[in-house]
This record gives sequence, structure tokens and C-alpha cells, in this order.
Amino acid sequence: MTKGRVLLRGVMKSFGAVDVIKGVDLEIAPGELTVFVGPSGCGKSTLLRLVSGLELPTGGSIMIGDRDVTCVHPSERGIAMVFQSYALYPHMSVAENMGFGLKIAGLPKAVIKEKVAKAAEILQLTPLLDRKPRALSGGQRQRVAIGRCIVREPEVFLFDEPLSNLDAALRGQMRVEIARLHAKLGATMIYVTHDQVEAMTLATRIVVLNAGRIEQIGAPIELYRHPANLFVAGFIGSPRMNFMDGIVEAAEADAVHVRLNAATLRLPRHEGDVKPGAKVTVGIRPEHFRVGSAVDAGDDQAVEFDSVIDLVERLGGETLAHLRMPSLSDGVLVVKISGDIPLRIGTGLRVGVRLAQCHLFDADGRAVGASAARVAAVAA
Amino acid sequence: MSLMPTPRRDIAWIGRANALVRYGVLIGVGLIMLYPLFWMVAASFKPNHEIFGSVSLWPRDPTMDGVVKGWRTGTEYSFATYLLNSFAFIIPKVVLTVVSSVLVAYGFARFRMPGKQLWFALMVATILLPKSVLLIPQYLMFREFGWLDTYLPLYIPCAFATDGFFVFMVVQFLRGIPPDMEEAAVIDGCNSLQVLWHVVVPVIMPAIISVALFQFMWSLNDFLYPLIYLSSVGKYPVALALKMAIDVTEATAWNEVLAMSTIALLPSLIVFFLAQKYFVEGITSGSVKG
Amino acid sequence: MYDNRVSGYLYIAPFLIGLATFTLFPFLSSFLLSFSDYQLQDPVQQARFLGLGNYIQMASDDTFYGSLGVTFLYVFITVPLKLAFALFIAFVLNFKLRGIGFFRTAYYVPSILGGSVAIAVLWRYVFAGDGLINQVLVWAGGEPLNWLGEPAYALFTIVLLRLWQFGSAMVVFLAGLQNIPTDLYEAATIDGAGKARIFFTITLPLLTPVIFFNFIMQIVQAFQEFNGPYIITGGGPLKSTYLLPLMIYEEAFKYFNVGYAAALSWVLFLIIALFTIIAFASAKYWVFYGNEREDRE
Ligand SMILES: Nc1ncnc2c1ncn2[C@@H]1O[C@H](COP(=O)(O)OP(=O)(O)OP(=O)(O)O)[C@@H](O)[C@H]1O
Ligand SMILES: [Mg+2]
Repeated sequence: MTKGRVLLRGVMKSFGAVDVIKGVDLEIAPGELTVFVGPSGCGKSTLLRLVSGLELPTGGSIMIGDRDVTCVHPSERGIAMVFQSYALYPHMSVAENMGFGLKIAGLPKAVIKEKVAKAAEILQLTPLLDRKPRALSGGQRQRVAIGRCIVREPEVFLFDEPLSNLDAALRGQMRVEIARLHAKLGATMIYVTHDQVEAMTLATRIVVLNAGRIEQIGAPIELYRHPANLFVAGFIGSPRMNFMDGIVEAAEADAVHVRLNAATLRLPRHEGDVKPGAKVTVGIRPEHFRVGSAVDAGDDQAVEFDSVIDLVERLGGETLAHLRMPSLSDGVLVVKISGDIPLRIGTGLRVGVRLAQCHLFDADGRAVGASAARVAAVAA
Repeated sequence: MSLMPTPRRDIAWIGRANALVRYGVLIGVGLIMLYPLFWMVAASFKPNHEIFGSVSLWPRDPTMDGVVKGWRTGTEYSFATYLLNSFAFIIPKVVLTVVSSVLVAYGFARFRMPGKQLWFALMVATILLPKSVLLIPQYLMFREFGWLDTYLPLYIPCAFATDGFFVFMVVQFLRGIPPDMEEAAVIDGCNSLQVLWHVVVPVIMPAIISVALFQFMWSLNDFLYPLIYLSSVGKYPVALALKMAIDVTEATAWNEVLAMSTIALLPSLIVFFLAQKYFVEGITSGSVKG
Repeated sequence: MYDNRVSGYLYIAPFLIGLATFTLFPFLSSFLLSFSDYQLQDPVQQARFLGLGNYIQMASDDTFYGSLGVTFLYVFITVPLKLAFALFIAFVLNFKLRGIGFFRTAYYVPSILGGSVAIAVLWRYVFAGDGLINQVLVWAGGEPLNWLGEPAYALFTIVLLRLWQFGSAMVVFLAGLQNIPTDLYEAATIDGAGKARIFFTITLPLLTPVIFFNFIMQIVQAFQEFNGPYIITGGGPLKSTYLLPLMIYEEAFKYFNVGYAAALSWVLFLIIALFTIIAFASAKYWVFYGNEREDRE
């Protein structure tokens, strides 16, 4: 059964001379909640609008279910869309907003009323049905926009940054509601967001876009653990992964020796091809540094370095220390420490790194050897 | 000792002096500007000799004489006929202007098409084109059509968005509205005409009202076009009737003519006061938001 | 945005038809007519080609020179004065005063009504021999003046009628002033700028787009003034208020010299075009367009 499947093949989009989507291949399985992430202007919205049919591709094809919908009118693609601005019709009541599509389709009034009532029930909008959008709060408007989608019973729901106009608390609440809705309806959903937390918590799969191309597709935790390249490694995870430039000193079958500023790390690896003398980048996530007693003295998988504290950001539950570690890098490295520990600027701090948690990227930015596979083993 | 902060008298005083000067200027200028209008209204209720006799606004011997005679006019038709004549072409003119301007503005603001920049530039250029350069050939053209002494030349061109100003006004308004709502309507199954009718028109209603009101006012004031196209007195609109009245009755019956003028201005005044916010929005949308 | 690329053209089709029929065709026709000896009462077919005849006649027509001079005088007096006054009053109004709305309305009324015949008629009486102005003059102990009979005064009355309608320009200025973010003023004040300095370095530059808009509109309108002089003075006395549009109208519809009138109308068009082109060309030197919006389609 392919109802709810979305298939993009070689999709391209240019606005005049500007290529915005440069060939995207993507298959979304029925019932998946796929999240598009990427930097501003990378084409997330454009890709979503191509799926919706609001924009027509300049190349490639789009299938929804079993149908090629590349040139099909948006209303006949079996999709529904929630806009960042909600895009509610200001002159219609909530009920009219939700039922508008059905009215245009020429359904009898009674049927419309019933479907609207059902959707309103799901979203707890029943008491608000007669109100105009202007008399609703942001969260309520958001729910109406979702209700408008539900009423259409689409194969695919499309969301373009639906929560970005809400305040932090409401955003958390709506996020849970969308997750619940996804579980309940089991429909395919495509969701564009800037917010890492939304992406990580909601997605069954994340698609990382950059400059009109897909950088990586995978389950959230997989992207976190095995970023395929520097871009994804830098994009997923907060604060950002620390990057250090190095040179390969020697390559063994199961490990690579990388010379950083003043230290050489022996990084375990499974595959990949690096030659001695090649320029590489080593990446370490801020949360993968260990401070003080957390490091086992006898662990040969771990190394320790001296650092000087440059700046401290205390968030309460965790502390971000900006450190100078001349042996690893000329720049400042960020270390995330859980808890609120007293640190003084200018003092020294000894920091440990588990080698298995280091990421290695070749000169083109591609990940070398899924060293992180071992992280799972180590952590277990 | 009081913990209340003491008001700074000097600062408050400067503020008040400033406000006082401003009010002074505003009231002075306003009075001078509006005085002729008050004078006209007052004169409509004065006997003729009193208009010349005193500067005072308030009629000493109030009389409806001027109004009644003015309404009858010196001609075979009463003022009502002229008013109805005015509306006979102004209403179609307003309706056609609104419909055509909205359609064209929607096309300009929301569709990608080759050559759009050029057409849009031409449209803006027509706003600046002096009417008198078109007047004579248009007259000859309508004469060929056999439309002289009918209202057709006065409103048929409006069906074709010939007033670029109004198209421009609606385009500017549309540009300020994100297209999301319209896209939502497309997903809801509307074609572009349905989007226009169900979503765009309700949303741009303020702009539509502005267009209608401005066209109404300007058409009511319009003099030159009726002057060249209409020849039978029975078809004259108010503007022509007034001009005729001063040619006929001028020397003697000031109160009649001024009363007619007052009545002639009433529709504009009423509409203006009922809907002044739309005038302000309309006139500023072309210049400030753009 | 949606539908196909044809639908955009369907929507602007009325405009394109109107542009061709009621604008471009007459526009070019009047150009052709201006080289003919066409008389209004004749069928169009009888028009004869005159070459530059009409333009040569114009070159030695004192009435034309007179009219041209008066037109320039009228435009050069009314446009700057009206703009300056509108800006001044907008400035006075742009202050947290109670009753701004009331004053704005009061000042706007004349420009809504000003183009009408009724107001022109009123003007005639206001400036008549025993009209309102002379009554006030006498009451104040002065001598009554022959407003509509003396050339200089007659032009003054129609100039005044235009100035009286400063309201619409003022409303636009006021909206422009209110569009200037107050934090700019605050930042300038903190930077130590005085009132005059703030006006010249912040208010005026940020207002230039609005000034530009008003300027163009006023120029174009002033060159086309017809109702006022036609009704108040009939162009007189001694053609002192015989503006070009008036002359064009009379040549065509009173003397039936359509060819000559068409030539005159093209001269008027060229003058207005010249002014607009100069204005637009100079705009990049003095009009300040901040935060321009992108036109996302
Ligand atoms: N209609 C259009 N015409 C021209 N360029 C466009 C159009 N729509 C989008 N673009 C360009 O395409 C690029 C991608 O835009 P898009 O809106 O898809 O980005 P995005 O990833 O959604 O960004 P954001 O996170 O800021 O929403 C941008 O550079 C944008 O300027
Ligand atoms: Mg976007």
C-alpha cells in the first residue's frame, strides 16, 4: 500500500536565474513524520511548496501515493498545509475557515458541518467555532489552521514552521499536540522547522538541506551520532560541535593517527580511506568532553588535556565553558558540563575526551569511518 | 519630607507653550480656510440684500427663499433632475472602476508573467499623462460611435481600468498583504477567480471602499468631460447645472446660487464625513507604503 | 503564483484593452492631428496634412506665449507654496495634541471639494466686487479691490483656490511623518542633535520619498488646472488666467481648430513629460529610499 507515500525524483526549482532546489531525491514512507531542517534560505519552504503544488518544479517529478502529481493542482494532490502565519481567512468564522475547502468542493452543508464538528472535537475547538480568527489566541489560531487540514482528510500534512510565531511555553505544548495528532491520525507529515528541539523530538526522519541539496537523511539520533559530513555535524546538536584542523600522521587498519596543534590522537575507525599527510578535521561535541573525576585514569580510550577558562556561561542546569586548549586548537572550544559547577575565568581546567566519540572528516568534509558506531558500544 | 517627586514646572511650561502655539496656528488657519464654506452655507439662508450687507455669519432674517428657488433652478428642470443625472453616470462609473481596478491590480500583484514590468510602468505613466492630450481624439472617437450627448463616454472607459491611480492604489494595498491566505485558498481548491472573490476581495475591502469613494468624489466634481459630451440640458449633471445657473442668475440671486452650491456639495460632504478614514488611507497608500 | 502564465494576462486584459483604445490610440491620434488642419465640424476624413504648420503658427501666436507664461507662473507659484504650506501644517499637526483627527479632517475637506464647480462658484462670489473678501476689507477699514477685474489679482484668486486645497498633500506628509520611527529621533537626541539638526538630518531625508510623490502629483495636476479659471474668471481679464488647458479647450470646442488644439496639447504633454523626467532622473540624488522591500511574487 502506498497511500501517503511521497516520492521526489530529481526535483529542481529555479526562480529566474537563481537555482533554489538543485536536484532532490527523497522517498517518504506512509505515516512518517519527516522534518526538513537547514539554514535560512536553503530552500526548505520551497521544497515544501513544491510538494504542495504552490510552486511547480522546473525539473524532476513528484509522486504522492500512486499518482504522479507533478502538474496537479494543489487541491487535488491530497495534501493540506499549515502556514507559519496560519493564513486563516480573517472574515470567516472558525467553522467557516475549517469548512471552506469542502464548500468549494461542493459538499452538502450537513456533511461539512459534521466533518468540521469532528475535527473541532479532536482539537478542542468546539466552543470557538463561531469566533472570528481575530478573537483567538495564537495557539488557538494554530489549532484552527491544523483543523482546516484535518477536515480535508489529506494523505499528507505539510507544516511550514507552524510554531515559530508562538512563545516558548506554547510552542512546547503545541509540539506535544502535533506529536499526539500524528500518532492518532497516522498520516504522513512533512514539517519544516528552524528549531532543533522540534526536529529531534517530532521527527521519525530528518532531512538536512543545504543550499538546495540534501546533505543527509536519517533518524534524529542517527544524524546526531553519525553525521555524514561537516555540515550536518555542525548543524545538528546544540551548542555546535567543536572542529579542529589536523593532519593524518599514520593510517592503520582500525585507527587513524591525527596530529592536531600539539597533540596526536589515535582515533578508532571502521572504514574510510585517508592517506598520511591528508588534511582532516576532527569534531568533538561539547557534551562529549569530560571534566575532572569523570575521566577514568586507566582508560586508554580517553585522553586528557590542560585548558584555560576563557568564558563561562551558566545556564543553571548546565554550564558552558569556553576553553583555550592550545594542544588541540588555536581557537576556543566549547565544553558542556552538566550541573552548575563553580569555574573561574583565567584558571586552568583539565578536560578529557573519549577517542571513540570524536568525529573525523576528510578534506572534502565527508565523515571518515563511522567511529561513532563505537560510541554506542562504549555508552552501552 | 515628602517622597513624591516634584513636578518640574519649567518643563511642563515649555510643553504647554509649545502646544499653545500649535493650537493657535491650527485654529487660525482652520478658521480662515473654512470661513468661506460657512459663509456659503449661511448665505443660502439669508435674503439677498443681507449677503452684501454684513460680514456676520448668522442670518438676521433667516429665510428658505434661496434654497427653495435654488432647488427649482431657473430652468425647466428642478435640481433633483440634475442630481439624478449625476448619479446616472457616477454609479456605473464607480462600479466599473472598482471591478476593473481590482481585477487588474490582482493580475499585477499576484501573477508572474512576461512583460509585466513594462505594462506596470505604462500604467504608472498613464497616471502622469495629461488628460487634455487625449481629450480631442477621444471626443472624435466617441462621436464616431454615436455616443455624443449620452453618458457612455463618461463611464465606459472606466470598465477598462483607465484610471491608473486606482489600480496603483489597490496594487500597493495588495503588496502589503502576505499571499499565504490566498495560497491556503488554493489548497482548499479555489481557482484564481474564486481566490479573488472569496479571499482577496474581503481582505482588501478597505482599499475597494477607498477607490469607490475617490471615484465618486472626483466624478461629482468632474466638469470638463460632461461639458464636452453632454449638450441637452435635460441630461446635465449638477456641475453643468451650476455653471449654467451662474450664467443665468448671477447678478441678482446670490442666495439661490450659493444655496445650489451648498446642496451640490452636500453629497460629497456627507460621504466624506461618513468615511473619512478611507480617504486618508487611500491617499496615503500610494505614497507612504510604497 | 498559481494557475498558468496566461491567467495573469486575463486579469490585466481590461487594462491592456483600455490602454490601447482609450489611451495609446488617442495619444497617437492627437499627435497626428497636430499636423493637420482638421476642423471639429468636418468628418475626420477631410483632415489635410499641414506639416509643421500648427507648430509654426504657434511660434508666432502671442496668445500662446501669454498662455504659456501664465501657466508657468501659475505652476511655479502654486506648487512650491502648496507643498511648503502642506508640510508646515503637517509638521504642526505631527505632535501629540488632542484633536489632531479633527484638524486633519477640517483641513482635508477643502481638497476633497476644491475641484468642484460649486467651490469655483463660491470663489467667484467670495472675490466678487461686493463679495466676502471686499466686505472684510471694508469692515477692517481698507479699500475694496477689483479682484476679478485686475489681471494680477485675478491670477491671485485662482492661485489661492489651489493653495486652499493643500489638505491632501498635507495628509500624505502627515502619514509620512508618522511613519518615521520615533527611536531615530531619540537616538539623534542622545547623540546631541538639536531640533533644527534633527529636522534637516533625519526628518527631511526620510520624508523625501513622500515629498517626491507629492511634488510629481502637484506638478502634473497644476499643469492641468481647468475648472477654476474656466468658471471663476473665464481666462480673463486680458487672458491673465488663460491657462494652457483652457486655451486647448477653447481652440478645439469653441473655435473648432482641432489641429491647432492638438498641437497645443502635445506641447503641454511635452512640458509635463519634461518635468516628470527631470524629477525622476534627479530622484536618485535627493530621494532617500531606506529599507526597500523585495517584491516576492
Ligand atoms: N518567489 C521567489 N522568487 C525568487 N526567489 C525566491 C522565491 N521564493 C524563494 N526564493 C529564494 O529561494 C531561496 C530559498 O527560499 P526558501 O523560502 O525556500 O528558504 P527557507 O529554507 O524556507 O528559509 P527560511 O528558513 O528563512 O524560511 C531563498 O534564497 C529565497 O530568496
Ligand atoms: Mg521558510
